[in-house]
Amino acid sequence: MAAASTLFSVPSSSCARGRRRVSQFRSPSLSVSSLSSFSSSSSSFVSSFSVPGPAFSSFSDVSSSSFSVFASSEKKKVLIVNTNSGGHAVIGFYLAKELLGSGHEVTVLTVGEENSDKMKKPPFSRFSELVTAGGRTVWGDASDVGKAVGGATFDVVLDNNGKDLDTVRPVADWAKNSGAEQFLFVSSAGIYKTSDELPHVEGDPVKADAGHVAVEKYISGLSFGSWAAFRPQYMIGSGNNKDCEEWFFDRIVRDRPVPLPGSGMQLTNISHVRDLSSMLALAVESPAAANGNIFNCVSDRAVTFIGLAKLCAQAAGREPRIVFYDPKAAGVDAKKAFPFRNMHFYSEPRAAKEVLGWTSTTDLPEDLKERFSEYISIGRDKKEIKFDLDDKILESLKVAVTA
Amino acid sequence: MAKLAVMQRGHPSLQFSLPPSSLSDFHGVRLSSRHGRSGGLAGDASATKKILIMGGTRFIGVFLTRLLVKEGHQVTLFTRGKAAITKKLPGESDEEYSDFSSKVLHLKGDRQDFEFVKKASRQRGREANEVEPILDALPNLEQYIYCSSAGVYLKSDLLPHFEPAQGKLNTESLLQSRDVNWTSIRPVYIYGPLNYNPVEEWFFHRLKAGRPIPIPGSGVQITQLGHVKDLATAFIKVLGHPKASKQVFNISGSKYVTFDGLARACAKAGGFPEPEIVHYNPKDYDFGKLKSFPFRDQELEWTPEFDLVEGLADSYNLDFGRGTYRKAADFTTDDMILSKTFVLQK
Repeated sequence: MAAASTLFSVPSSSCARGRRRVSQFRSPSLSVSSLSSFSSSSSSFVSSFSVPGPAFSSFSDVSSSSFSVFASSEKKKVLIVNTNSGGHAVIGFYLAKELLGSGHEVTVLTVGEENSDKMKKPPFSRFSELVTAGGRTVWGDASDVGKAVGGATFDVVLDNNGKDLDTVRPVADWAKNSGAEQFLFVSSAGIYKTSDELPHVEGDPVKADAGHVAVEKYISGLSFGSWAAFRPQYMIGSGNNKDCEEWFFDRIVRDRPVPLPGSGMQLTNISHVRDLSSMLALAVESPAAANGNIFNCVSDRAVTFIGLAKLCAQAAGREPRIVFYDPKAAGVDAKKAFPFRNMHFYSEPRAAKEVLGWTSTTDLPEDLKERFSEYISIGRDKKEIKFDLDDKILESLKVAVTA
Repeated sequence: MAKLAVMQRGHPSLQFSLPPSSLSDFHGVRLSSRHGRSGGLAGDASATKKILIMGGTRFIGVFLTRLLVKEGHQVTLFTRGKAAITKKLPGESDEEYSDFSSKVLHLKGDRQDFEFVKKASRQRGREANEVEPILDALPNLEQYIYCSSAGVYLKSDLLPHFEPAQGKLNTESLLQSRDVNWTSIRPVYIYGPLNYNPVEEWFFHRLKAGRPIPIPGSGVQITQLGHVKDLATAFIKVLGHPKASKQVFNISGSKYVTFDGLARACAKAGGFPEPEIVHYNPKDYDFGKLKSFPFRDQELEWTPEFDLVEGLADSYNLDFGRGTYRKAADFTTDDMILSKTFVLQK
């Protein structure tokens, strides 16, 4: 009998029936566990009952591989205002490619200077790919988008740059004044208030003083034809500007121990950036459905630190040497010593599934294999890397560096 | 083996006959067939159904039975007849209780032997061989709803990834092979008033006694609780629902909670101050046969209409908080943990 392969409470495939805005995801759902031998042949599904209490949410349709979405076939003029560094940079790159592939007109405005050192790193170093695909890449100031785009106007504007109102307001105001129908904002799942209960779902309380929160509020009040905010966590994918899985590979290929803070059972979301891109693209193509929604922009699986270390090692064809440490006892700042928040930090993409008919395709075991191939092909395994913080941790644990 | 016919939804139940049997004794009242009546949640279980519940006198069954009767269904409980089939719930008036209990039919007997036609609703049997005689006896069964036990365990790293206990799988494959219109419901740790599997009670005992709460490991292990009333509602939802056919449902809720978080939620629910949590490594102790914690390590399962604290408060107010509990407090293992000098404190 096949073991159920479903994730948490979010069905593995679902269709959005209608364009209801779903503001509340607390109601319980009966999710279908996808035991393949018991899959029903029904190809339609039912959305939640309106009766409070346990309700049916979408039924997993294991047999069908496609789903219908109310997509518009209209081609749009899209502007992506992109950050020039950090984990979110790669989102704009993938989205631009995806939209160009679908026939939309895309301009990417990267904040800053075209000839800055930052542009030598991925994904910027690969922006010629966007141009080849028919996209336009420009550089300039977020505070004067109109100038940066030479007076062009757009149907859709995505701000994948700002973290606070000061930075995003000028972009949003310009978008509104220049007649953009839809405004999208890449926010952050980091704004959710910490809780004993997980995962974070859309509608959960957020930190009132977070910059992104102020932005989300502001754009919701600007009366765009359609607005939406997307809250990502961590990403992997070629062209990433920030290390993610590399942190693990660096240690694994050099036969170094992988130090994990605490118990290592903390859960996190590691998504392939194509999931984020596909969610954003769906919002562009279904503006009415997307309107007014917050979307957790993550894959629908969580992984523990231990799990991720093991998967990275598996991708590298080696056995990991995992050690656990208490950052305080080791005298290190966990934020610097480890790439992810030292706590359960796990969100679920419930709104995207319900409202946009989005499905996740992140497959860590497979995706990490591809990531590892690239890691080797660029020669990073041979790179000289300092492991000062690791050494400090290992010293405090009295663990030998080499096995 | 009889081929099981799936009835059209909406048709009234077939009349049944009561065969003679030396082992069964029917304590029921109305034996005539009923015609469909309107009523029911969400309009799906609109026809009155005749529901047979195997057991159903404890915990989940208690709430489920009430809900089914309230929905207008005719409920029969099949038990060995050792205990009263219904009991008054805390917070329930005498009138409500007598109204309810007068409607519940009782079938006393050996579950291996009964032969009249009804629609079975719930099965507590774990093994496939307990299910077969029921299927044999009920050739016109409209739906067989099977409640798996909370025996689903998390494989630690990638979530979720559960493998149900083998007995459950056998039952499900039997149901599949018999072409029964079946639905399987897999609840998680069920909590709520009258919980005979002391999950929340374990925390309440310690909070009431003002004792620290010893939690194994880091305390960030997660689990998922479902309130019993929500589970009962879930059963109602699958009743007669065409899309429930041959499906397995995990009672999925909104959230998971960490072990530490659960301790805090219990404190909040019972109006206790913030608890003192003590972490320890279970490997450092030999508890013998005693259980030192109500959950197995890193259980993963799952929550709903009842917000956790709300749900625990419901459990506390209607049960433990009134001085009732199933298992008496036993702090033996707690004292072993607390007496050791190198207890890990967070």
